[in-house]
Order: sequence, then structure tokens, then C-alpha cells
Amino acid sequence: MSTKSIASQPNLITKKKRKIQIAPYLFVLPNLLIFTVFIVVPTLLGVIYSFHYYDGLNPMKYIGFDNYANIFTDDKFWSTLGKTLTYAIIVVPLIYACSLGVAILLVQQVIMKGFFRAIFYWPTMISFIIVGLTWRWIFGELGIINAVMVAFDNEQITFLANPFFAKVAVIIAAVWSRLGFFMVLFVAGLLAIPRDFYEAAHLDGASKVKAFFHITLPLLKPTTLLVVMLSMIEAFKAYPLMFALTGGGPNKATTYIVQYIYETGFAKQELGLASAMSVVLFIIITIFTVLQFKLTKGGEN
Amino acid sequence: MKLNSKGLLLLVCTLVLSLVVSGCGSNNKTQENGTSTKKNVKLDFVWFSDGDEGKVMENIIADYEKENTHVDIQLIEVAYNDLSTKLKTMVSGGKPPALSRISTSEIGSFSNFAVDLGEQLGGVEPFTSQFIDSIKPYYVIDNKVVASPMDVTANGIIYNKTLFDQAGVAVPTSSDDIWTWDEFNASLKEVMEKSDAKYGLVWDYTPHRWSTLLYQFGGSMMNPEGTEGTINNEAGIEAVNYFKKMHDEGIIPRSVWLGGENPNNLFRTGTVAAHLSGNWMVSSYKDITDFEWGVTYMPIAKNRSSVPGGKFVMAFQDSGVEEESANFIAYLSSKEVNSKYNQESLFMSPRKDSADLDYEFGKEMFALFADELNNTIPAAAEDWSKQTIIPKFSSDLKDGLVEVLAEGATAEDMLNDINDRINEAIANAK
Amino acid sequence: MTPSKPQKILTYVLLIAFSALWLFPVLWIFLSSFKNNTELYQFPPTFLPQQFTLEHFINAFEKGNFGKYFLNSAIVAITSTILLLLINSMAGYALAKFKFKGGTFILLAFISTLMIPLEVIMIPIFKVLSFLGLYNTLLALIIPPAATPTGVFMLRQYLLTIPNELLEAARIDGAGEWKIYWRIILPLCQPILAALAIFSFMWRWDDFLWPLIAISDPSKYTVQLALSNFIGEFNVDWGSLLAMSVITMIPVLIVFLIFQKHLVNSMATSGMK
Repeated sequence: MSTKSIASQPNLITKKKRKIQIAPYLFVLPNLLIFTVFIVVPTLLGVIYSFHYYDGLNPMKYIGFDNYANIFTDDKFWSTLGKTLTYAIIVVPLIYACSLGVAILLVQQVIMKGFFRAIFYWPTMISFIIVGLTWRWIFGELGIINAVMVAFDNEQITFLANPFFAKVAVIIAAVWSRLGFFMVLFVAGLLAIPRDFYEAAHLDGASKVKAFFHITLPLLKPTTLLVVMLSMIEAFKAYPLMFALTGGGPNKATTYIVQYIYETGFAKQELGLASAMSVVLFIIITIFTVLQFKLTKGGEN
Repeated sequence: MKLNSKGLLLLVCTLVLSLVVSGCGSNNKTQENGTSTKKNVKLDFVWFSDGDEGKVMENIIADYEKENTHVDIQLIEVAYNDLSTKLKTMVSGGKPPALSRISTSEIGSFSNFAVDLGEQLGGVEPFTSQFIDSIKPYYVIDNKVVASPMDVTANGIIYNKTLFDQAGVAVPTSSDDIWTWDEFNASLKEVMEKSDAKYGLVWDYTPHRWSTLLYQFGGSMMNPEGTEGTINNEAGIEAVNYFKKMHDEGIIPRSVWLGGENPNNLFRTGTVAAHLSGNWMVSSYKDITDFEWGVTYMPIAKNRSSVPGGKFVMAFQDSGVEEESANFIAYLSSKEVNSKYNQESLFMSPRKDSADLDYEFGKEMFALFADELNNTIPAAAEDWSKQTIIPKFSSDLKDGLVEVLAEGATAEDMLNDINDRINEAIANAK
Repeated sequence: MTPSKPQKILTYVLLIAFSALWLFPVLWIFLSSFKNNTELYQFPPTFLPQQFTLEHFINAFEKGNFGKYFLNSAIVAITSTILLLLINSMAGYALAKFKFKGGTFILLAFISTLMIPLEVIMIPIFKVLSFLGLYNTLLALIIPPAATPTGVFMLRQYLLTIPNELLEAARIDGAGEWKIYWRIILPLCQPILAALAIFSFMWRWDDFLWPLIAISDPSKYTVQLALSNFIGEFNVDWGSLLAMSVITMIPVLIVFLIFQKHLVNSMATSGMK
């Protein structure tokens, strides 16, 4: 605590300026260090594998860009990527809308808020294999929808053997299981908006809807970017849930890119190819992510 | 809840301390009898279970440790689906386990890292002569014994007796009386009509199980020498089309191969007349109480055939305890211990002299499976033992079959495509 | 500004309708863990157990040393969460409130690692862990996963909404950077830290691939590793899996209920006025 004013101590200014300049690096350091050692280094090794033929055990054989050439001529890779994109385009807005909707409901003055929040959050705590089992219990051959149809003497529908219904089932299961996570993010974001703004708007005679579009949404920008980017990355990486529910079927209808990488790379003992595919996927998602980030200026107001 | 810096520091210290304590404490195995016996050999045994065989192995280990007090064997249990991951990271990372239970799908990849049991245990011929010949291609690679057989599996048919009885349909009672595939289908249709059965047959969703049909039609995936693919010959095409026919006629539900439905669960509802699976289901279905079930002969197309498989134990090089591991494997492979293991786990023994075990449950069933094994064409083991080729196309075969079932491709086109992949893999393997 | 009565009714109706929809499958999981095997597999499926049984819970506990596994999971989850809250908030603060060279690059690099499927870099990770002597230790489950990109991203976005004037004022008053972080930033982040604590505990509790790679000593197994053993090659022990899943969800739920109380309007207590 200085007794003199700072302006009268030029050395103090530069010292403070320098302190402020190294401060961010120091704050980022622990995270950066762990991240570099445990993620960056292995990833670089993974990139090295992508230029080799490697089964994970026997010594690698350098093959240059062969894996990449393989990928570019692999129709199935690109069609699977397309399927994944379609899935992402549907799921991301759905999750955004539903989780925001529920979050808005749950920041109001309702009794037993915690209880309701827990209900929506609970599915995120359930492992994917059980989520798959649960929705199979609803949609499957031996499930309740079919049981009801049989009870009414209707013909059974094998939802999960039908490509369209299988895709719908997977989307429903995904939204059900992930909504709670994004709801919590939105709740935190909504609560960061000072109530004063709403008070002022109310005094000015603005309707609730107007307040939503002119106060809530703009001030929610940082959280919105967070939710959209995270849910998009998740959608691109979707695999365990689909696998547990439909096995990726019928006939590959719900097989998305990570499952494809897994089956083509790992099941065929081709870690090098799997790494190359991951690099390609990485580049594609990064482009999307960076675009999103730049377009929204990082969510800053 | 504001944590000031002191509180936070205290909490962190407490947790780190408990961590260190728990980390240190677990390195020493607790001695139940209180005596401090010096264990100077520790064998890590990676294991996976489908039923209760883990418990049976633990008892066997306990017996071994009593006789060999300087040895400490620890089972490291993982799920079967994670076995490959676990072993690959450990072996690649330079920390191989002493031993691992291993199935036919993994032996090939790890064969270069396995201890040659032939060397350690008295020579290739003497060692392998203890076991049935049909599984030899699986565990003897380049005249090296890379693993020791623990149990042998055979594909076969489990059927719902209650449904068959309800419909008044008989099953073959002896191997002279075996039905053809057409006769089998006709029987299934009858059961579906005259009883509560909704479906005739559920078939496991794996290329290994489908290949049973291929061999029964007289086909194969490769020629015996493994120099070229043969899957797209007439027999292969017939087998694929017959498989499709059974789906189209509603005998096999579409939900398994096309909808990811679990055939075990379907069979357990009691609404399916038969399940083409294997002997490992006997111990699993043991607890079914709401209907009677049994095992019966698989049909004949051109010839009878099953598909052999099995589980083995492999010892790894560079574990530091190769000799002790080999000794333990010798113990496990002995007639007494191997029989005990298979009898109590309800598995089939791979030993020539242990075909007739005194099972507590299902003795006749295992006799039938053994009969299926004895009537298996050589192509089955020859094909599936080629573990450098199989992984390169087996998932494509599975996908291809699904595509044909979904009417996305013809059998000929699909099999030609697969055959190309087989030949490609063979060329690359050289 | 209190909502009008019809608005309140609408809110409740929507809430209850959606909650029922969400709760239904969860209830089924819970109830099914009390059904015996025959009932689990029967068709048409049942909702309430016809024959209530505890056999799955008993069997599951007999199959493994679950007490130890719970302890291991708890140590990992709690310690890692504390570490994560600390380092993620530090990094998030730096990336939100300082304009420094490489800031955006570091943020995007962090986020980009989310896109790497862990399975692809499993073997290199093992080699790194082994090299550092962390193989087969609980520390391997605590330290590496604590540097989550999601946490950093969450905090950064949240901190963007905090006005810079607050920090400037503190700096002019001569407060050091660490003090600003500790005394001003952290308290303001209460809601997002609560959310992150909930997530982090759940992530570490549910971690599977890391423990599979890093741990071979059964006494250090976590709950998830033990649960995976119920999935055999041909048969899944659904009964035990359901029962243990129900039990393993309880700690995560407790953490949620504790921390969600802190999802409050922090700006009301910001002292901005």
C-alpha cells in the first residue's frame, strides 16, 4: 500500500506494467504445463504415427502420405462425415433451444428449484451404455412402444431396424442425455445478468418478450458461444451413445465419424490410419470452431 | 461457501496425505494368515470373464500359491472389449504383464511378443500333442507355441424346448438323424405357427457366427495355404443368399443384424424358437426358469460344420518373470487343473484326454458340442487362425452382410468386394 | 418484478410436463435394478417390479471390493476437482481479462484438444505416464485430466461478463494481481465455479479410459473400471450393472445438490453500487 500517488513514482509504473504483463502468462502456466505434457506431446506422437503403418505393437513403417491419400479416396469416410454433419446440424440447435428454455424456467422463483434441476441433470450422470439400454427399452423390439402397439393389436414397428427412426431415436436419446449439462451452463450465464437491467426495462414498460430479446440474449452471448461450440464438438465426436443404442446401424445409418475411425483404424489394427483420420477430423472441426469464434468475436460484448 | 487460503491449503494437504497413504498401502498384499512370507516373484495376470470363470481361476491361483509360496499371482480384471486396448498399451509402453488370458482374435497381433512355450515347456510337438488338433493353427505360429489352450468353443444351436413341445415338433436325437437347412427351416416355421413363438431363429451378430453357415455350405474364406481368397465362390454366394432368405421369410428377426438388438435378450423372452450361438451360452442360460431349453444338432447343407474357437493363456517377453509364467502355464495346462477349470466354469476342455468332464450341469449338451467340433471341416480353423488377414476384412464382411440384408447390394457384388480385400490383405502381409 | 399468476401457472405446467418426460426413463432404470433376471428380459416389459428383489445389489457388491473402489474414485474426484477449479480459473481469468500475445491462440489450442478422440493417443499417453513414473498411481488420474479445456472455456466466457472497471479500481488501489484474483475474481465466479465443480466431480467419477490406461493394480481401481467388468464378451450382467450404476450415481447427485445452491445471482452481491 503506497502512501505516495503512483503518478509520482515512474519506476513503480513500469514495474507494475511489467508485473501486469507477465501476470497472464503465470496464471495460464499450470494449465498450460499439464496440457502440454499430457495432451500436446501425445498428440504430436499421434501425428507422427499418421505418417506410418503402425499396428500399435510392432515397429512402425514409414509410408509418407499414404494414409492421407487413402482417406481422400475413401468414399465411406466422406459420406460418414456428411452423416455426422447432418446429425450435428440437427442436434446443436435442438440442444441450444431446449436447454435455454429449461434454464429460463429454472431461474424463475419456483419452489424446489434444486429438485427440478436435478431431474434434468440426472441423465448426464448416466453412463452411455445404460442410456442406450434405457432408450432401447423404449424404442426396441422388446420395448414399451411396441408393447403398447401389440396391446392395441397393431403391428410391431422395429424402430431401430429402420434407418430413419433409428436416427430419430439417437437424436432424442442424445438431447435427453445432454440437456442437463448445457442447462447448468445457461443457468450460470443467466444468473450473471444483473437484475437491475430487468428492473429498468420493466419501469420503461417493456414486455417480457422484448426484455428477452434485447437484454437476455445479447448479454448471454458468451454463454451461447460456449454452449454452441461445446455441443458442436460433442456432436462431431458422438459415438458411445449411438453404439450402445443402435450399434451404429441399421446398415451404418447411425455410424458417425468417430465410430468409423475406430472401426477402420483400430479394429483393423491400423493405428497409423486412425491417427491420420483423426488429424483430418481435427482440421475440419478446428476450421468450424475458429470460424465460429471469430464471427462472434469470442462472445465478447 | 468461501474457502479462505488457509482452509484450502489444509484440505489439499489432507487429501494429498490420504492419497499417499492409500498409494503406499496397496503395494503390499495383505497376508491373511498373518505370517510374513517373502514373495519374490509377482505375476500380473490380465484376465477377463464372461461368467464365473474368474472366481474359478482365483481358486486355482490360491492352490498354486500354496504349493509355490514364493509366487504371488494377481488377477487384473478388465472387460473383454478392453482387453486389446489394455494389452497394447502395456506391451507398447514397455510394461508387459506376466500373463494374459487371450482369445483367438488377439493371439495373432501379440504373437511376436509372446514367450515361446514350446521352448520353455519341452518342445513344440510334446506340448501340442496334449490338445486337440483342430485348434493348433490358433496357437502355433511359425512353429512357435505362443499360447496354451485353456478352453475350446464350438458354435451350435440352443433351442426352446417348451416352444418345440408346444408345437409338437421334434429335434434330431442323434447324429445319424441330422436335418438339412431346409428341413430345419420348415420345422422352425411349424413352431412359429403352432406355438407362442414369434421368431424361429436368432443369430449372433458376428462374422464368426455367420461363417458357420459358410462352412456348412462347403465354402471357405481363403484357400488352405492362405494364398488367396475364396469367399466369393458358389458356396459363399449360396450361404449369403440363404441367410438373407431366412430374414426375408421372417424366420430370423431383422432387429438383430439390422437393429442392434441383443439375441440373448430376445431368446430369454421365450418367444424365439432357437439361437445359433455356442457352448459359452450354457452357463449363461442356466438361470432361465420360465421355459425349458436344450442344445440340438446344427443342420447340414453340403456338410456339417461348426467353428472352433477358444481361450488361451499367453506369457509375455520382457516381463522379467518369463520362466515363472511358463511354469504357471504348465500347471494350468495339466490334465488335473485344466479339467477342474473347465468343469467348474462350464467350458469345454481342449485336451485330448478330457473330452468327458463330469459337469454339474448340461453334460449331454457339452457332449453334443464336442460332436459338432469333431465334425468340423478344416477350413474353419484354417481361416480363423490367420490373424494377420482376418482383422483386415472381418468388419467389412459384417457390414457387407448387413448391406445385403438391407437390399443395398447383391451377394455376388458384396462377396467379390470382400474377396478383393482378402487378397489385398494377403498381399500386404508378405 | 414478480411474475403474474397466469405466468406462474404456465411456468409450473411446462416444468412439470418436461420433468415428467425426463424423469420417466431414469425411474425405469432405478426400478429395474430391483427386478429379477426373468422379469428384466420379459416381453412386454414391466415398469414397476413385480417381484421386488435385492439380489443384484448383493451380487454386485460380492463381485468386487467396491468399498475400496468408491474410496479411490472419491479421492480422485475430489482432489482433481480442487486442482481443476484452481488452475482453470487462473487460466480462464488470464484469457478473459488480459490482452496478451498468444492468448487467443492458447485458448483455441485448448479447445481444439477436445476434438482429439482419446483412443487415438492412448499409447503415447501411456508412454508419457510411464516415463514420468506415474503409471499405476492415482496421481495419473488426478493431474492430467485437471487441465480441462471445457473448464477454462467456461470460466473465460463467464469472466467476460464482469466489468473491467472493477479490476482497474483494484489495481489503482495498489492490489497485487494474485490478490485481485483471489479476493475479487474468485468470489464473483461463484456460480460458474459451482457449475464447474459439479461437472468436474462427475467427469472424474465417470472417467473410464484414463483409469483403464493408467491403472493395473486392482487395489487402485476406480468404480467405473469395476463396473466395466460386468460387461462380458457374450453376456452382459445387466442386473448387477443396473444396480451398481444406481449406486454410483448417488455421490454425483449429492455433489450436484450441494453445489447447485451456489448457482445464484452473484451480481446482486457484487458490491458494484
